[in-house]
Amino acid sequence: MEALSSLAFGFSVAFTPFNLALALAGAALGTAIGALPGIGPINAIVLLLPLCFSLKLPPESALILLAGIYYGSGYGGRISSILLNIPGDPGLVMTTLDGYPLARQGRGAAALALSGIGSFVGGTLTVLLLTFLAVPIARLAVAFGPAEYVALMVLAFALLSTMGQGRTAKTWAAICLGLLGAMIGIDGGSGVERFTFGSLEMLGGIDFTTLTIGLFAVSEILIVAEGMRSGAVTHLGSGDRLKIGELVRCLPAMLRATGIGFFLGVLPGTGAAVASALAYTAEKRVSNRNDTFGKGDMRGLAAPETADNAAQTASMVPMLALGIPGSGTTAVMLGALLMYSITPGPLLFTQRPEIAWGLIASMYIGNVMLLVLNLPLVGLFARLLLVPNWILFPGVLGLSFAGVYAATNSMFELLLTTGIGIAAYAMRKMGIPLIPMLIAFVLARLLEDNIRRALSISDGDPMALFSSPVAILFWLLAALTLLVPVLAPHLGRRIRTVSDSEGG
Amino acid sequence: MKAGLSGDRITGSLFLLIGIGAIWHAWSLDVPFAADPVGPKAFPMVVGALLAIAGASILLRPEEIEWEVGDYGRVAVVAGASFLYPLALEFLGFVPATALLCFACGKAFRGPTVGTAIASLALAAAFLLLIDTLLGLPLPRGPLGI
Repeated sequence: MEALSSLAFGFSVAFTPFNLALALAGAALGTAIGALPGIGPINAIVLLLPLCFSLKLPPESALILLAGIYYGSGYGGRISSILLNIPGDPGLVMTTLDGYPLARQGRGAAALALSGIGSFVGGTLTVLLLTFLAVPIARLAVAFGPAEYVALMVLAFALLSTMGQGRTAKTWAAICLGLLGAMIGIDGGSGVERFTFGSLEMLGGIDFTTLTIGLFAVSEILIVAEGMRSGAVTHLGSGDRLKIGELVRCLPAMLRATGIGFFLGVLPGTGAAVASALAYTAEKRVSNRNDTFGKGDMRGLAAPETADNAAQTASMVPMLALGIPGSGTTAVMLGALLMYSITPGPLLFTQRPEIAWGLIASMYIGNVMLLVLNLPLVGLFARLLLVPNWILFPGVLGLSFAGVYAATNSMFELLLTTGIGIAAYAMRKMGIPLIPMLIAFVLARLLEDNIRRALSISDGDPMALFSSPVAILFWLLAALTLLVPVLAPHLGRRIRTVSDSEGG
Repeated sequence: MKAGLSGDRITGSLFLLIGIGAIWHAWSLDVPFAADPVGPKAFPMVVGALLAIAGASILLRPEEIEWEVGDYGRVAVVAGASFLYPLALEFLGFVPATALLCFACGKAFRGPTVGTAIASLALAAAFLLLIDTLLGLPLPRGPLGI
């Protein structure tokens, strides 16, 4: 019951009026930005990140605000998926399959309510699991030395490359680019400048806010500018509200989806997109007796929604307990922690319990808050869908640059943001996934430091990386992960079609 | 439309070159002192090699890329305006520069001229109020004081 007393401590951190207000503000702001058509959760976090930093909040408050934004934006994204058929995030594609038909039948309000409840169920059950699992996992990981960490990170990259979207070679290229990008600047161990090309501005390395805004916000605007997505807004509808009976019928689907979401979310690299796709397919197989899936079946909406949120929350487990992010958004949060010079990982729970437990407690609060905030206010947020493109995207671009400037006070960083944005746009056109690149960027320093630490213990003998049984186990698992698609091409192809069908 | 295999060929060769460049750069680093036996060279060289291998594999086994034809003019307008924005920011100040950026971008998104102009000014003023006045993070003021 140690977890419960720690959790109580976490609530004492999160329940200060200031932090509660931040959680509420984050959830509301996140929902508003997430509801804007085509602006996914990761963009919402990324847009608000520089402002969070420049406010000089204490780290636990900043993290609580970010978690609120994270939750809110996930919910906001559902509004545009269901009413507009525009998913702002790969994880939301499955939501449109039954959500949009429901909205067209005039049951948009019911669909949004169901999606909110499904997210609440998935999120809360997963936080509950997280509360009791994080510390035991972290305790196992405390014994990890540098060699085990190196092997674990390589395993995470291997999982990313085979389970994620896109070709394995392209994901590896993205990982390498992220690692190389993080090396720009002065090397801590020797004071040598790497990859700066004599530029003074590059000495400190690429600023994290610059990278994320360029990578996601700017590239998104360019993609939209090229293709000009448009959709007809379906109105909330005057149809029946969600009935208790319908909700009860969806409960088994939600529970199954929570299990799928949790399991896939804990694995680094798979994340919410795969989880929601699998949950939808599984639910369809179990319950599609009358061929109602895809035509507005409530269970077809509840399953991916619940799995999506369960996976999003579960990806906090490796982030908090091991310091290894499994998704784009947790990578952003990890980057945020690193900017406060806090290294997440097993010691976080003992050294900075106010951060670890404060964040976990705020996840409970965030889930409740969203439900309370959104069930009555969803109509208001849905209005945001009516903002025309020619106001929305200029506004997002302006806010991006204003945020980068506020965080860095540098014209050079603005130019770099645009440069990174254009490069990221080209990469997306070529099918190079961006999220592995972001995760690698965030992990790079940790990886290099651990390699160098391991090898300095052995005085440079690389066999030190394969010295302990745990490390060897991780290396074998990594090798196995890489070999699975080679040995079983059918399996690899199926995983890829599942994630491909969600688009990028 | 499909871009055929040339997209992957270009991407692959680019990655191959960057990978080799990274190895070469790391190799040529001058390290007067390192606190550990490995030093700052090894890691970038390994990563560069991996990137080169990945690039070569994309180059040698290119796959078709689904390529939607879009309006590249609009992309160019948005990108160009973004590149000019820091310059405008320095000389004109936050509100005029941001309004110009939003106007260019809004026109690229096919907004009506008058409406876009009004919206751009309103957005720029709103950001200044929000970020500078409300949150207290200074944004650059131009000759007009805004």
